[in-house]
Amino acid sequence: MDTMETQSQTATAIQTAAQQHNEPTWLIHKRLAALAQMPDLPMPRVQRFNYRDWAMMPDTLAWRQSAPELAATAESDCQIVQVGQTTVRVNLPESLQEQGVILTDIFTAAREYPDLVQAAFMTKAIQANENRLASYHTAYLNAGVFLYVPDNVVITDPVDVQLVQDNTQDQPLVSHVLAVAGRNAEFSINQHLTTVGDQTNLANCLLEVVAHANSHVTIAALDELGPQTLAYVERRAYADDNAVVNWAVGFMNEGDTIGNFDTELNGNGAQADAKVIAITDHDQRMGVNTKITNRGKHTNGNILQRGVILEQSELVYNGIGDIIHGAAGSEAEQENRLLMMSSEAHGNANPILLIDENDVMAGHAASVGQVDEQQLYYLMSRGLERETAERLVIRGFLGAVLSAIPAKAVRQQLIAIIERKLENGR
Amino acid sequence: MATLEIKDLHVEVTEVTDEENQTAKEILKGVNLTMKTGEIHAIMGPNGTGKSTLSQTIMGQPAYHVTQGDILLNGESIVDMPVDERARKGLFLAMQYPAEIQGVTNAEFLRAAVNARRPKDDQISVMDFLKELDKNLDILDMSEAMTERYLNEGFSGGEKKRNEILQLLMIKPSFALLDEIDSGLDIDALKVVSKGVNAMRGDNFGSMIITHYQRLLNYIVPDVVHIMMGGRIVKTGDASLAERLEKEGYAGLRDDLNIDVALVDED
Ligand SMILES: Nc1ncnc2c1ncn2[C@@H]1O[C@H](COP(=O)(O)OP(=O)(O)O)[C@@H](O)[C@H]1O
Ligand SMILES: [Mg+2]
Repeated sequence: MDTMETQSQTATAIQTAAQQHNEPTWLIHKRLAALAQMPDLPMPRVQRFNYRDWAMMPDTLAWRQSAPELAATAESDCQIVQVGQTTVRVNLPESLQEQGVILTDIFTAAREYPDLVQAAFMTKAIQANENRLASYHTAYLNAGVFLYVPDNVVITDPVDVQLVQDNTQDQPLVSHVLAVAGRNAEFSINQHLTTVGDQTNLANCLLEVVAHANSHVTIAALDELGPQTLAYVERRAYADDNAVVNWAVGFMNEGDTIGNFDTELNGNGAQADAKVIAITDHDQRMGVNTKITNRGKHTNGNILQRGVILEQSELVYNGIGDIIHGAAGSEAEQENRLLMMSSEAHGNANPILLIDENDVMAGHAASVGQVDEQQLYYLMSRGLERETAERLVIRGFLGAVLSAIPAKAVRQQLIAIIERKLENGR
Repeated sequence: MATLEIKDLHVEVTEVTDEENQTAKEILKGVNLTMKTGEIHAIMGPNGTGKSTLSQTIMGQPAYHVTQGDILLNGESIVDMPVDERARKGLFLAMQYPAEIQGVTNAEFLRAAVNARRPKDDQISVMDFLKELDKNLDILDMSEAMTERYLNEGFSGGEKKRNEILQLLMIKPSFALLDEIDSGLDIDALKVVSKGVNAMRGDNFGSMIITHYQRLLNYIVPDVVHIMMGGRIVKTGDASLAERLEKEGYAGLRDDLNIDVALVDED
């Protein structure tokens, strides 16, 4: 059987699955177009990180139920909980429904609000033809969430998005969270990615934010995918005039992971702040691109990344500041720092500044280092055991990012995860 | 009563002369000294003579290798113990150059240090800790804001010294080694720091005060004064020895004693 034939069989399979699933024609077309492009597209480039032999594109699209009990029971007033492809809970206060806020699973949204979804779904923050994993994502999409906050609506409490990958079954999780902020809208999302079960699976999780003029969107993401999960995590935002998008990402996955974050500051005066913390352990490998693109005039981007590398693991941080010609008066700052806790750890902190405009302010700092023995000696000379001293130094090292995470609950959760990892990772 | 005995202590460091060559360099060449709680000993000596080396070796800085002799705390040899264990057994070193630690507040560190010396099931309560902290900040004329700053980060020289003494007052060791706690302090700060050390004086506390100048000893009056030169203690006496040194200088004293060492500061 030649590749053309395989390709057309795959297309038929996807089309059949999507039709069974009652998807609107526009979405089916989008899937098929993405599938057709796949072979011609490059894999996402993660500098200084080789993942060529990772199997990141299993070609199955099938519909499965997951047991709702697999989700944690924690309820909040404003939340959506999914296990695998199954939506377990949606809570949206009536007052918000009355103001036109929509919170539902992505496929219901595609049917019931086709205009809203079609306008924003992989059109602005990222497009399916950007790279092969983005097109794979579009073609094989099997779960997701849609949040729509209309113009001028302000949601005070965070919207809780809990996604549980169901590794009790043999199936990839290809999940898309689409959040649209209307003009002057304000809200925050707490996203939590976890895994149940111990089968080996891929997770291709994409979150995209379309932030219209003057909106404020804050995303706190806590990724805790399991050791059996090969993860591709993509987080993207598109910011229009004077929109503000702030990210705080705790990259606590236990398996091999690629992270690809980008915020496009398209409108004049748009701002983004990206804070990333990662800890790797065992023989885990993790490569992270964190990028902010300054396109509009007077835009402001700030990247702050800290990572701790335990045991034989590898962590690569690429901080990418891309200032497009015409983005006059813009600012791009970044700081990428890694701390290696063992002599077998591998780390790379790589600032990449692509500047095609004269009238800008840009700066970067990067470092990869071991724990300072002088610091440990000083702390231990006050009676602290080596482990306690190390943990203080590490927490201090991560402190600059931790203390800047606005959501207190997320911050505390993250600190607890960090403590646990440090305890195990020695 | 606790005792600290230093017996015929010889200490080497490994010097890296260039990429291929390492040589051992002997710094301490047979130091003998015994102190008990209740006593304050001063160690004076010219620069480069091994005073800091002595204090760091007692504390357990791994760069200093004991090649001969012993250090006994209450009769038990501590030369093979790691630094943290020595600290929990009652030793404290106020360092000449304290490390700076970002992201860790002074208060958080102080509590960890206090608790390190207490059993796991008897950690200090927040109330008791704060009470003790307030009392000691008061003695040292330090503001509470200092405790919320990151440990030594961006502290001035004088603030670092005060902070070392604050730790001393909080941790309450049996023996405190104070390495040039007076350097870089103006007279007011010197008085404050001395007040802190004097507040610790009593039957359960002994201190080894390392200083280059006699001035500090006007405020913390020592029971015993040792003069160190060329890696050895060359003379021991009472407080008047420090005054004599002040008059004669190290070179004069050396010539009086007929000791054959070169002084770093000498022309
Ligand atoms: N870690 C070290 N490595 C190499 N040489 C050292 C080290 N520590 C001290 N020395 C040397 O040992 C001698 C004594 O130093 P030190 O103990 O600091 O003297 P003091 O405190 O009396 O001024 C000096 O010549 C110094 O350069
Ligand atoms: Mg010295």
